[in-house]
Amino acid sequence: MDTKQADFRKALREVKNLPTLPGIISKLTRMAEDPDTTTEQMGKVISKDHILAAKLLKLVNSAFYGFPQKISSLNSAIILLGFNVIKSLIISSSIFELMESQDMELWEHSLGCAVVCSVLAKRLEVSDPEEVSTAGLIHDIGKVAIKMELRRECEALGQLVREKEISMLAAERELLGLDHAEVGGWLAKSWNLPPKLVESIACHHNPTDAKDEKLTAAIIHFSDILIRGLGYGHGDDVWVPPLSKSAWEMLNLSAQDIDEIIEQVEEKLWDVKGFSLEIQSELERSVTS
Amino acid sequence: MKRILIVGENIVGSSEHKILLEAKGYQPLLIRDLHSAVSLILEDPPDMLIMDIDFGEKQEGLALLNAVKGCLQKTNIPVLLVVTEKHVATGFNWQTYPVDDILVRPFSPELMLARIQLAEARMIRVFDNNPLSKLPGNTSILKAIQRAIDADESYGVCYIDIDNFKPYNDRYGFSQGDDVILMVARIAVNVIDELARDGSFVGHVGGDDFVFIVGEEKVKPVCERILANFDVVRNMFIPAEDLKVGCYVEKDRQGRETIFGLLSLSIAVVMTGSHVYSHSGEVSTAASEVKHFVKQKEGSNYMIDRRSLKG
Repeated sequence: MDTKQADFRKALREVKNLPTLPGIISKLTRMAEDPDTTTEQMGKVISKDHILAAKLLKLVNSAFYGFPQKISSLNSAIILLGFNVIKSLIISSSIFELMESQDMELWEHSLGCAVVCSVLAKRLEVSDPEEVSTAGLIHDIGKVAIKMELRRECEALGQLVREKEISMLAAERELLGLDHAEVGGWLAKSWNLPPKLVESIACHHNPTDAKDEKLTAAIIHFSDILIRGLGYGHGDDVWVPPLSKSAWEMLNLSAQDIDEIIEQVEEKLWDVKGFSLEIQSELERSVTS
Repeated sequence: MKRILIVGENIVGSSEHKILLEAKGYQPLLIRDLHSAVSLILEDPPDMLIMDIDFGEKQEGLALLNAVKGCLQKTNIPVLLVVTEKHVATGFNWQTYPVDDILVRPFSPELMLARIQLAEARMIRVFDNNPLSKLPGNTSILKAIQRAIDADESYGVCYIDIDNFKPYNDRYGFSQGDDVILMVARIAVNVIDELARDGSFVGHVGGDDFVFIVGEEKVKPVCERILANFDVVRNMFIPAEDLKVGCYVEKDRQGRETIFGLLSLSIAVVMTGSHVYSHSGEVSTAASEVKHFVKQKEGSNYMIDRRSLKG
């Protein structure tokens, strides 16, 4: 490994704080000030944001709260942490100082991916569908870290994607010698998240590399592709990633299954799109006030 | 009358210090030699020890500290070490000085009193708290129940018990069992924090038993939410294969193979409003009887003691 690559790794491993969308934070801040807000209502908003969700899981799995590597469900994390801790989490969350349209796109992509994961997990009757949709929500957390820590390289990555017409994943591997799935896996591991989340995030582009979580990784892998195909959000490039043949076989879905899945996903996306608009207007409100 | 053993030269330098202590109901016992001091600690332990860091030879001071802190029944005696600015500047190895607080010379009588009262209050707090959940323990629980009985408003005294906890512990080990206890503690505290913050209480009797006290009108929503939250979080603590089967086979207390259900919660509630009970002991006896019935029901449930309901 050359020194440049080692430097990238070091910078990414030391990532401290991932910023959140300003619209989400201002909405949650207003909710926290309202005495009638319940933990559940706050939880609903947090579970629509890939970064806050990851932070919540990091918190509940830290030694201080006493459940290391145990909690992979956002609902459980919210119940165990309670209202006051969640309020502090919001106060302690930084926001994207320079928000680009890309951040919103990645947020929408993550949220859309979680929606597809949840539909697929229920259809495939996995034991804990919420765990799978959580993994889907935070699967691209490595992209946020790369963006935060390697700002200069990020510009070059974007350029490479445009000029060579390759995917962001290919550009990362070419320029950095590592990719966002790997970075997301390290982060999840360093935050003491349960192995199920760590592995499925790390292997979401190559589900067959997963040791114990092949199916979860395959569900995220396919959801990632499907949501891009449906044109909801994107992950910094316009290309739909290639489908892994073995993941496809593992899911064992027929053409009719796919039709039904798409129908269910589109129905659920209405809610999500409504929420997106709300966050957009929240952002405009916070800019003008 | 609280007895304070004071060991060393000129700790209560002026008569003002002594007068203030006595006026506040303390009895200072001034002793200057190790032998008498240790005798007193062994035979008639004081309520607090204040010791000069320069007392006797270095080993003497440590011997005295060990006499207090080395004996389990006496670890709740607060120890204050009297030091100078110079000591503070050079720093301490607190492993060798197992004390609870320091007093830096020179100090006013008022500061000495404040430090003594603070040390007492902290010791009560620390010692009554359960080491695992950090929730108040039995002394605080009995006081809280009595307060609820004596109050004009009606309160629900609610006893939480984890069903099938012992076989869970046998099957998965103590450390997992501790996680479950901690989980229940956090669920109860968070729900009460959110739904019934004012005038409520949560305590940890020990093991898998908890008590919480909330206003009568909050009993139903709080119990329902605790049970619902427990059923959501519980699955994180049970391996997938056992969840699938929905039960497991373990030996019972008599060593017979028995089918046990998965973890659930039972809450037994006694209301104070009807004034049927006048003492905390009666409340816990009534709760034990209710618990016996509620634990026989399948899954997570709560039940209110009918005798304690008004009218």
